[in-house]
Amino acid sequence: MIARFLAAAVLLIGAALAAPVAAHQQKTAISILSHNPRTGMLEVVHQVPIHDAEHALKSKGAKGADILADNESRRAFARYVAERFELTVRGDNVPLTLLGSEIEGGSLLIYQEASSPGPGAQLTVRSQILTDVWVRQENRVNLGDGTNVETLIFRAGDRAKAGILP
Amino acid sequence: MRLIAFFAALLFAFPALAQGIQQTKGSFEDKFRQLDEVLADPNVYRNASGAPGHQYWQQQADYRINATLDEDARRLTARMTITYKNNSPDSLPWIWLQLDQNIFKKDSMAELTNTFGGPGRRGPSVSAARGNAPAKLSLEELRRQQAMADNTYGYDITRVVSGGRNLDYTIVGTLMRIDLPTPLRPGQSVSFAMDYGFNIVEENTIYARSGYEHFPDDPREGGNDIFLFAQWFPRLVAYSDYEGWHNKEFLGRGEFTLEFGNYDVTMTVPNDHIVSSTGVLGNPSAVLTATQRQRLATARNADAPVFIVAPEEAEANEASNPTGTKSWRFTAQNVRDFAWATSRKFAWDAQGHKQPGAANSTVMAMSFYPKEGGELWQKYSTAAVVHTMKVYSRFSFDYPYPTAQSVNGPVGGMEYPMITFNGPRTNLNDDGSRTYSESEKVFLVGVVIHEIGHIYFPMTVNSDERQWTWMDEGINSFLDSVAGYEWDPDMPWTRSLPRDLIPYMTSTNQVPIMTQSDSVLNLGPNAYGKPSAAYHILRDTILGRERFDFALKEYARRWKFKRPTPTDFFRTMEEASGTDLDWFWRGWFYTTDHVDISLDTIHRLRLDTKNPDIDLARRRQELADEPEKVGVRLNREQGLPIWVLENPGVTDFYDENDQFTVTPKDTKKYESFLEGLEDWERRVFDRAVEEDNNYYVLSFSNKGGLVMPIILGLTFADGSTERMYIPAEIWRRNARNVSKLLVFPKEKQLTEVVLDPNWETADADIENNYYPRRIIDSRVETFKRPDPSSRTGRDLMAEVLVKDEKDEESGEE
Repeated sequence: MIARFLAAAVLLIGAALAAPVAAHQQKTAISILSHNPRTGMLEVVHQVPIHDAEHALKSKGAKGADILADNESRRAFARYVAERFELTVRGDNVPLTLLGSEIEGGSLLIYQEASSPGPGAQLTVRSQILTDVWVRQENRVNLGDGTNVETLIFRAGDRAKAGILP
Repeated sequence: MRLIAFFAALLFAFPALAQGIQQTKGSFEDKFRQLDEVLADPNVYRNASGAPGHQYWQQQADYRINATLDEDARRLTARMTITYKNNSPDSLPWIWLQLDQNIFKKDSMAELTNTFGGPGRRGPSVSAARGNAPAKLSLEELRRQQAMADNTYGYDITRVVSGGRNLDYTIVGTLMRIDLPTPLRPGQSVSFAMDYGFNIVEENTIYARSGYEHFPDDPREGGNDIFLFAQWFPRLVAYSDYEGWHNKEFLGRGEFTLEFGNYDVTMTVPNDHIVSSTGVLGNPSAVLTATQRQRLATARNADAPVFIVAPEEAEANEASNPTGTKSWRFTAQNVRDFAWATSRKFAWDAQGHKQPGAANSTVMAMSFYPKEGGELWQKYSTAAVVHTMKVYSRFSFDYPYPTAQSVNGPVGGMEYPMITFNGPRTNLNDDGSRTYSESEKVFLVGVVIHEIGHIYFPMTVNSDERQWTWMDEGINSFLDSVAGYEWDPDMPWTRSLPRDLIPYMTSTNQVPIMTQSDSVLNLGPNAYGKPSAAYHILRDTILGRERFDFALKEYARRWKFKRPTPTDFFRTMEEASGTDLDWFWRGWFYTTDHVDISLDTIHRLRLDTKNPDIDLARRRQELADEPEKVGVRLNREQGLPIWVLENPGVTDFYDENDQFTVTPKDTKKYESFLEGLEDWERRVFDRAVEEDNNYYVLSFSNKGGLVMPIILGLTFADGSTERMYIPAEIWRRNARNVSKLLVFPKEKQLTEVVLDPNWETADADIENNYYPRRIIDSRVETFKRPDPSSRTGRDLMAEVLVKDEKDEESGEE
């Protein structure tokens, strides 16, 4: 079931499934990419409001979605996020390992990592998290943690954008 | 020549006009420049302390409406009389009305300016063509297109009369100007009647703030609807002392700017419907059964919700057909808007909330929901309504109306006076049972608190939502998190604490909070989260709870049933707390700076005694404490001979006396130093030498730009700790680098300093908060640790993923 809706998410015409989706979502996801000098890894943290995540699952037909209590729901959403977030370096796709997720406040945090191309590398990123669910979705991708940040903004259909990893 | 001079003057004049006061030499930035040049000038209507001025005025609009719902045609028709009183000092030749339903016309500004795949659009998902990627339409977008093509939406206005004569009017998008026969003078009133109707949009298809929701699977033939009515009558445009008529087109996001007034509304609906509405039911005996009226009376003094219409009765209604109509009459006093809902699907529960001594000593907290709301609503909706009033009233005023209602329908969360629309529901399982997820429960409780909270802000403290989303959403998000703490401190609801906002605040390409509602990027973190985080910092860190709560309550009291502006809010919070907060408003609300203060260095100092017997001995010890020269150590290890050791018989004065030996000259210099001191200098000096305190100079740099207090966690060699709070004003003369001297008794030696140890200020970089520096695990490293204790709800899925991959390889579904 979960695999089926993930496939539906990449169709040309997004499948309009199931029940109406309640409004009042925040419709924003923030992703942070940073180089960890101690581990040599590129770390990726996606911050998505819990209710956006759960309602997105429901809108895609996962009727019993429960982000807080059901690990399967969270894994399904984490995999969906991983599919909607693309990263390339020098034209090559960077396979990001999905580490898992956790709840912090009203947000679901999803973690990924890969070998880091190192500070100064040009990253090409495309975040289409939830843009197939809500037209108003506005995603931010911060290259860098802490103070020195370059932000790429994505909306539905936006192509990949490039920035330098600090 | 004269022409050239003229152009030159223009070129120089424009930037000066646009930028006001400028630092034209050097790079000094005054983060504490007073806001006077930015805030509106005080006047007789709004005074310099942020309170309504002695000649404050606002208009009044009273409405009498008779509305009829044609359920089958999904059309509402109404006859309305508006009485408008001009309390302004101006004569008004015309009156402007808001025609919000016109946003659904095919040629509305909102429809025409919605960019395809662009930011901020309300509606179904689409994406524009990018490069080789084709444009994408969702089925929802196609459904919306088809509904717009098949239906005619927007107001049909068939009559506008006053005193028996037709009035001329002009419609401009979602606005309508009615020309008065004679100007309405100060203090005068005018009444006029309108007949109008409109086709009701399907909320989920059109993406509206109200409309109907269809339930095709209900047992009744043809199914049932829930109707939510908001923005359902032509409403007076606000006319204010600072903007005149607020002619800002309704584009969908920026909400509403409204006048207070009294309402008398009769709605005629199928006679098996239950109506929930702003106001108080004026004719219960005509529309409720004797049993329902008895239950309502019981609920008034109940300490738990009582069913007026039980779920099983609602389910029976769902299968019924109306035998006629009923007219429900509601009246509401001093409200800025009026909304209602109707359906035969509604169960209805109620509980009296007591406010001893208040104008409304009993408030009827009520919920209306279909079977799809189920147990989730039975348990938590009315309970959350009551909880909200208990908490919010402590921060503002007694709940100001006789009813507070929560209605389940197709709208996720929306607020009106005395009535709110809230979306969370149960799931229907294959076996016919209904359950709900934990986060849907959190969402219901959270959204009911939030929307009922809006009855305080902005339904009573009537800020201008069309201009400033943050004014009501910021305070309300802050208070809903406070109320959430008091519901369940572990409830994962709020995303508006300082620590939650760091990724947004560090990101580039944001807009300041002080941005008009329709132009804001990322409305959630900008207008809800960031101002809420700012208030948490003001309350818990900068002002303290007593002063903050007093100031917020004063703001609420001053502007209850009045129309505050941002200027009034900023001034009131400063005046009532007794604190200059211009730097705070400037940084948090007028800029996109973030917080990152770095503790760069700590230097330890020790007072010289000037006494050579003491100071030179210390110098000798300092030299001895230095590491041995590497070359000398290597020579020794190599066994190389040293001349002076091999020639012990050759010595002189300098073998007995090193460079730190006290000479008579040193002693004489010390005595002469002491003799040269004034009496008070000698007393100070002697005491300082005796105390021999520890002196530390801490150097800070401001990397984020936002000036904030410096909060220090100090740890000493004896294991004791202290918290030190240095007000933000330390940055007033240099907003980039400051140093601070700290003095501790001789026995208190500093071993570690942590800046913002409790994560109060949204400081973006924790690593530079420690001195000495320490390795700070990244979020990912923390997550991967075997037993993280800092966060809840962790799901380590790596092993599961490996297992899943194996499953897939083995062909399992």
